Amino acid sequence: MELKFWWLLPVGIAALAAAVVLALRKPGRDGAPVPVAHADRLTALPRYQRALAAQRRWLALGVASVLLLAGSLLMAAARPVSASTTIPGQVNRDIILCLDVSGSMVGTDEAIVGAFAELVTRFKGERIGLTIFDSSAVQVFPLTDDYEFVAEQLAAAKKAMNKDTANFDFFAGTYQQPGSSLIGDGLASCVTGFPGGDGQQRSRSIVLSTDNMLAGKPLFTLGEAAALAKASKVRIYSLNPNDYSEGTYADPVAQGLKDASATTGGAYFPLTSPAAVKSIVAAVQGTEAKRLNGAAVVTVADRPDVPLGLGLLALAGMGVAAWKVRP
Amino acid sequence: MYIFAHRKARGLLEGEYASIFHGRSLDFEDLRTYVPGDEVRDIDWKATARVGTPLVKRHKATRRQQLLFVVDTGRNMAAIARGGETKKDIAVMAMGILGSLALNHGDQVALVHGDPRGTHALPAQGTERHLEGLLQRVDAAATLGAGESRLAGQLEYAAARFKRRMLLVVLADEVAVDARITKVMRRLAAQHEILWVQIDDAELAGAEAAARASYDVAGMGPVLTVLAADLELARDYARDAAARAEALTGLLVSRGIAMARIGHTGQVVQSLFALLERHRRAQ
Repeated sequence: MELKFWWLLPVGIAALAAAVVLALRKPGRDGAPVPVAHADRLTALPRYQRALAAQRRWLALGVASVLLLAGSLLMAAARPVSASTTIPGQVNRDIILCLDVSGSMVGTDEAIVGAFAELVTRFKGERIGLTIFDSSAVQVFPLTDDYEFVAEQLAAAKKAMNKDTANFDFFAGTYQQPGSSLIGDGLASCVTGFPGGDGQQRSRSIVLSTDNMLAGKPLFTLGEAAALAKASKVRIYSLNPNDYSEGTYADPVAQGLKDASATTGGAYFPLTSPAAVKSIVAAVQGTEAKRLNGAAVVTVADRPDVPLGLGLLALAGMGVAAWKVRP
Repeated sequence: MYIFAHRKARGLLEGEYASIFHGRSLDFEDLRTYVPGDEVRDIDWKATARVGTPLVKRHKATRRQQLLFVVDTGRNMAAIARGGETKKDIAVMAMGILGSLALNHGDQVALVHGDPRGTHALPAQGTERHLEGLLQRVDAAATLGAGESRLAGQLEYAAARFKRRMLLVVLADEVAVDARITKVMRRLAAQHEILWVQIDDAELAGAEAAARASYDVAGMGPVLTVLAADLELARDYARDAAARAEALTGLLVSRGIAMARIGHTGQVVQSLFALLERHRRAQ
């Protein structure tokens, strides 16, 4: 706790002292007091003594309140602040989960959603969105930092993606086009899910889960969508459960996805089982965090609560005193 | 209008006052010792030279009525009266009127005034210049720088120093009657004729109270008259003030002393004439 305008204190105290001196030297409203004799006619009365004691008490309260009010307002005017160090990258992220919900992917999607459902409880300022696609893309929820809502949506998604579920309403709208896993279109939809504008400072990443098993004729190829992502400075982290690369043999389907991810500055993770998703998501988060950790920034926050609270108390005291003291 | 003397004059040359002596002069030359207040010209210098202590001719000294003002000139008198004026202004005006009446009647006026720091006396003389001097003395003495008021001190001084019968005019404010005052008044009343002029003090509570900030001349501390806006307190004050007035009136009535109360200068003439009338009718 420190004072931003500490020089206000001596100035204010000097002004306060000057005001007190002026008030003491200035005669009352009625002019100079008049001399009266035999004042003991009044002052010797017990009731007068009691009234005088009460008057003194309330006056003392009034004076103390005025001084406290002046002091606390002076303190508040001097702006008590507390400085805290923050790393801005941690809270400056936008993540869109871009999930291919074709039949082959559901198990992986459930693991990803589950992993993020856990992660989101630790988010502070990050925004997250969810888009699912098959032949057409559906935005389940846009980028938001309403974590309660996000957790609710992720829980609903997780439940829908369970292989035992009988309810397919969650996937409504993902079969509007002929074909399946139109990845380029899905990815492009996800990329457009980020807000436009040049002034944005937040890092953007897409967690894309797909096996790149394209069936149909997309409007965007994967390469075009990746170029779009690159143009929007979005990094793509791809998770592929069906990578058939083995040894020196590179699965051409997986390779396309890998290349697309690499062009955006992201990464590609082949999945051997849904259980590995959690560690991969953690790794992605770690990579992003590392990438974003900028210089520590000192944040200065005003802390006027104590002086202003005291001021309020003093105001209450003044009110009571003004009510009780006879002018 | 003059100040009536109830006791018959015992000298032959006492003017309009009724005398107990009838017929021609007996050429009576009684001498007594000089006491302060006697006129120097009444001193029998030959007898004084023979005896060694000052002696005055009693018949000459008692020939004229003497009016003695006993005035409190403590700082109470510099305080304000009920009408808002300074009390000593009212006292001086009352003194002037009574003194002028006495002078016109051929009487002499004397003054005893003071505070606990000292009581002073000015001897009786029958000139206007002298009266003017007395008034100026009172005006100059009764300031806020004077001592506290203790009227009993001046009364005791008069009782101790003035042996001859005089007409005493006490000018005071609302004094609180205590054993000391009672004792000295009893003594004075036996010796002199007394008129009591009370200058009313400012009201401190109730409807007539001045709503100005005030301070007590006794302790020089502030008096919070605003507190007296409390009805209970005002009632207590009124009861207490009535009791004080009752105590003084009781003492004066029991001694056959007429009293006038004056609150501001507009009441002075009316109150004093009423006082003289009451005094004349009293037995």
